[in-house]
Amino acid sequence: MFAPQGNIATAKTTSYKVVLPFYGYAAISFLAGTVMLLINTKAFTGHYFQPPLLAITHTMALGWGTMIILGASHQLVPVLIEGELYSNKLAYASFICAAVGIPPLVSGFYMFDLGNLALAGGILVVISVLLYMTNLVASIRRSKHRNIHATFVVAATLWLLVTTIIGVLLLCNFRTKCLPEESLHYLSLHAHLGIAGWFLLTVIGVGARLIPLFLISKYSHTAILRWIFYLINVALISFFFLFLSGSTATLLIPITMIFVSILLFVFYCFRAYKERIRKQVDDQMKISLLSTYMIPLPMIFLAVVIGALILSGEPQTNLVSAYGFLIFFGWLTAIILGMTFKTLPFIVWHKTYHKLSGKGKTPNPKDLFSERVFHWMSVSYLAGVPIFAIGVITTNQYALQAGSLFLLFAAILYIANVFKIMSHSPKHYGNNN
Amino acid sequence: MAIITNNNIKSTIALASLESVYDPEIGLNVVDLGLIYQIDFDETAKEVFCRMTLTTQFCPMGESITDGVKNTLAGTFPGYTARLELTFDPPWNFQMISEEGREFLNR
Repeated sequence: MFAPQGNIATAKTTSYKVVLPFYGYAAISFLAGTVMLLINTKAFTGHYFQPPLLAITHTMALGWGTMIILGASHQLVPVLIEGELYSNKLAYASFICAAVGIPPLVSGFYMFDLGNLALAGGILVVISVLLYMTNLVASIRRSKHRNIHATFVVAATLWLLVTTIIGVLLLCNFRTKCLPEESLHYLSLHAHLGIAGWFLLTVIGVGARLIPLFLISKYSHTAILRWIFYLINVALISFFFLFLSGSTATLLIPITMIFVSILLFVFYCFRAYKERIRKQVDDQMKISLLSTYMIPLPMIFLAVVIGALILSGEPQTNLVSAYGFLIFFGWLTAIILGMTFKTLPFIVWHKTYHKLSGKGKTPNPKDLFSERVFHWMSVSYLAGVPIFAIGVITTNQYALQAGSLFLLFAAILYIANVFKIMSHSPKHYGNNN
Repeated sequence: MAIITNNNIKSTIALASLESVYDPEIGLNVVDLGLIYQIDFDETAKEVFCRMTLTTQFCPMGESITDGVKNTLAGTFPGYTARLELTFDPPWNFQMISEEGREFLNR
């Protein structure tokens, strides 16, 4: 017998059953978001505080962005912390709470009926975040490995919790005034804690690990990531207090800090790209990298919005809408479109073929989806975003309709590819084992 | 990195067969990727033992890769039991990729 010498490690990954519902739900939400976009283009020519815009934003932020991040996190957190997920049951419970809570919340915004149903939806979303956070913290506590990526994810989840609690408070404030100002006043605070606190921190924390991994790059720079982490968190805390103090001009300080952190992340991704070992970069990585280079664009819009607000005292509503659109349909959607097809095919491939590995011919994970459909989805998406953004800025109905049609087409192709992957069976590959 | 073995002839056969086991993400086989550290044969117990690593601990595809290695060794040496040990000491790094592997990735 051979005496084992090295450390024996088990590489147990999270069950696909936990992850797939999040991906399926997110795909349907993306389609719902683009359908609402198409039938509500007129709303984008007016003020941003309108029922359809609130409904679209929450569909994209919660149903699309948050659900897919939560799903991917349950798979990726074990990779980041080099430990197992604490509980599958908590993950299911988190999914069910969010899945049940989001529709009444979104329909409440759409009909502008912010009654008990919408409030119950909001509370369920908060519970879902709490369950996810419990699972995340318990997983990290059990793992012996701590790293900067996991720190990003924990901090991001804390900000998500703060954002959703503020969201519920704003809902209550609509019904019975419980805050010093109207809910509209706090909208910007609620939105930015979610955008920078939840989405930006998560994308940077996870992206800084995955982008070099998928590019097979030697690059790693923990000091840069630490700087980014501190800059964003200090910016968010100062934004919170400066906002409540009512001083608009000073908000440029946290905005500048966020902008610097974004530039540092762009630099990090660029270095990872330059130092990659694999020369060929696939389309999924190209669109993910493109999303990284897209982040400064909405930041420029935000600086213009704040500048105009300081000079004229009035917000440029079309610029605010364009800014929000570029965040949710631009940056966030681009990275999700790319990363879905870098993660989902592997999860399904692993479920279907891992026991057959080494016993015969198996497909590559990339064979589980259509590259052609992915290509046309990317083309349609890349056409839709600038056309729609121009439509919002110029309040041109034709551009808005054309842009939203392109985005709807991209969503249909995305959902077709996602469900093609999810419904894959060995029979599709002529393997009946 | 040189692979440790107590049977040069059989380990050459084993490594040739393991060239059919791929890391699905990277598209490179486990031998050129430098994941195989040791292959030993116990003729008395009829065992083939493989010590290997993964590019990252808790790699989502880890189980597929280790199952692939185990199944391939069992298929290549009928009558032998394949036993596998996963180690992260030393941890994998880019220097472990073979020349052929580097050429493949540079294409």
